[in-house]
Amino acid sequence: MSDFDAIDSLLDAVGPQAELPPCQVRRELRERARLSKAQVARALGVSPSTLSGWESGRDPAGEVRTKYAYLLDGLNAKLATETETKTMAEPAAERPVASGTAAAAVTCTSSPEVGQDEDEVELLAVPEPCVLCGRPAEQRVAGFAQHLDPSDCQATPVETPKPEPAAPSTQAHEPRTVRPPRPAGGKGTAPRGRAFQEPSGPADLIHEAVHAVLAEHRGDVEAASAVLLKRAIPDAMRLLDETRKGARYDVIAHPWIPDILKKQTSRGADQIWEARPKWTRPELPPGKHEVTALDINGAYLSALKTHLPLGQLEHSTGFAHDRRRAGVHLITPPAWEHDAVLPNPIGQRDEPGPLWVTEPTLRLLLRLSGPKHGLCEPPQIHESYTSGATENLLEKFRIALKDARDTAIADGDGLTFEYVKAMYSKFVSTMGESNYNRELYRPDWMHIIRSQAFANLWMKALKAHDAGLTVVRAMGTDELHVIGDWRRVFPEGRSVTEVKVKDTYTAGTGTEAGTGQEQ
Amino acid sequence: MPEKNIDFGKFGASGIKGSEAVARQLDWLAAHIATPVTARRGLMARLHYLTTSDRAWQAAKDAGLTVSDRTLKAWLEGTRRPSKANLERIDAAYRAVRRRNVARHLIARLNREGRGTRVEIHPLDQSGVARQLQRVVAHRTMNVRRWDKIVASWAAGDHQGLDDAWTADVLPDLGSQWGQYEYVKNIGFAA
Repeated sequence: MSDFDAIDSLLDAVGPQAELPPCQVRRELRERARLSKAQVARALGVSPSTLSGWESGRDPAGEVRTKYAYLLDGLNAKLATETETKTMAEPAAERPVASGTAAAAVTCTSSPEVGQDEDEVELLAVPEPCVLCGRPAEQRVAGFAQHLDPSDCQATPVETPKPEPAAPSTQAHEPRTVRPPRPAGGKGTAPRGRAFQEPSGPADLIHEAVHAVLAEHRGDVEAASAVLLKRAIPDAMRLLDETRKGARYDVIAHPWIPDILKKQTSRGADQIWEARPKWTRPELPPGKHEVTALDINGAYLSALKTHLPLGQLEHSTGFAHDRRRAGVHLITPPAWEHDAVLPNPIGQRDEPGPLWVTEPTLRLLLRLSGPKHGLCEPPQIHESYTSGATENLLEKFRIALKDARDTAIADGDGLTFEYVKAMYSKFVSTMGESNYNRELYRPDWMHIIRSQAFANLWMKALKAHDAGLTVVRAMGTDELHVIGDWRRVFPEGRSVTEVKVKDTYTAGTGTEAGTGQEQ
Repeated sequence: MPEKNIDFGKFGASGIKGSEAVARQLDWLAAHIATPVTARRGLMARLHYLTTSDRAWQAAKDAGLTVSDRTLKAWLEGTRRPSKANLERIDAAYRAVRRRNVARHLIARLNREGRGTRVEIHPLDQSGVARQLQRVVAHRTMNVRRWDKIVASWAAGDHQGLDDAWTADVLPDLGSQWGQYEYVKNIGFAA
């Protein structure tokens, strides 16, 4: 008889399966409730990757399916009531406060003590100050609240360099609009929980230097400017030291450098290809066009945010790309078939065959070869000199300079503006094998930062292209010529996230052969 | 010195003597003429450097460049080219004189009125060592305050003296594990 009992219980278990919404909706529900995969997975007793599977096509079965359905049901009901109350109470509210509290009530796990997987991105119900810029951040990675998007760590709301996918971006953008206004000082609020706060930050170093020199020269701007430009390099090094106080990684200034990074002769170049764009559209669409030459503000300043190798470069061959490391790579670039509309991401290379490129170029190629863009084949990596990398090495340095630059622009302070410009541009150009800056001997960083500036420009060209503009020319670090209404793609202004107009000219059939020349 | 390595490289580690790395860095800081002596431009630059004054020429003679004034004149006018052996002597003399000339300034800059200079020590390369014999050797930095002996023996071309000054006087400041840094991949400092 016992056999039949077992069969009966089995038959009881086989009931109608719990109904689940489609995968897209599952994910959307979880994200709208600001729950991370890790949190949900823990509650259900499965691994986060299993949950990813459920959200992207697979279906759970058995008991856990019932649990999952219950969770989604609950979330659905909660969010539905919330949106109702929101629309009733305040139709124009950008983010419901209720959503934050409700999400906190659901999760109860957004306290920092909760152990997290190393790279798990956790959405915070209550924004915490970003460890980088101090402003409220909605995500936490490895226990540190921070902005995932580098552009969020900046003064103004910005576009990301890549075009956003249409549907999910609305939610990603939502928290951005409710950021509280920045304090007047230009620096972010210090993280909570610190008893003693530094009286002055690194940005004050810049203003102090300017004021001291101005006072010394009794307000003579010309003389002060000459002096400040002269001491820009040592001052930049001092600022770097200041911003690295208490930081996790040392700036290693004199590592062993492989031969490919050494200059061949006293005036020659080394073997690194920086992928500088120098592209003009081969032929314009028919008709006359108004071409706008756009100038990217502070291209090198923005490029300071890049994956920089920390220590000594180590050699490796035949390995796939490791995202945690950065350096220089010998690659065979993929063929580029879109030269008629977009520049080649490795720049205007005449010789075929393998070449040494830096990390930003490789990452750009890998990104473009990915499923999202699918513009080319992935590059073949033959050998690499890499080291463990971080994007945050120069982050405080960059923010200090950017804040000083923004303040100088707001105040119409040309002297500080020029000083800041000299600081970052000379810092980049002399950090390699230069006799003007012997404190830092990192030709690898110099190449990587430059390549990052070029890659940033390339992504801007892609953004313009994807938005329906006609890209006419991409040149150097900061020059982008486009046809069309660019103002809906790029904000105009002087901040690093905006562009300014360098020139406008007409080109096309009827004016002159080719694409026309500015000036 | 019990910490000193007796048979370096026995298990496949590679590196150079710390003092040699220091000498390389000092040479880089001294900014020698970059064009090689075999090129006419490099040869002329060296000869002009050695003949700027009688003192300089005397120093070159002391450094082993013993040629007659007539030969020198012919070299400078370009009517004759130095032999291969003489090219080497010219280069050696140039290096010696240049080092002696910059030593005083280098010492002053490195000592920085007693504040010293931060030195980065990049540890030896263990990639050739069997996995179980590899040890954790960290990157180290230290502040070296007194450079007089180091730079003086470098300027005099005294390898042994430089090695003593570096290994016996400076390295032990790293602590009990200083022997791990007797051989290094690179040593970096700025002046």
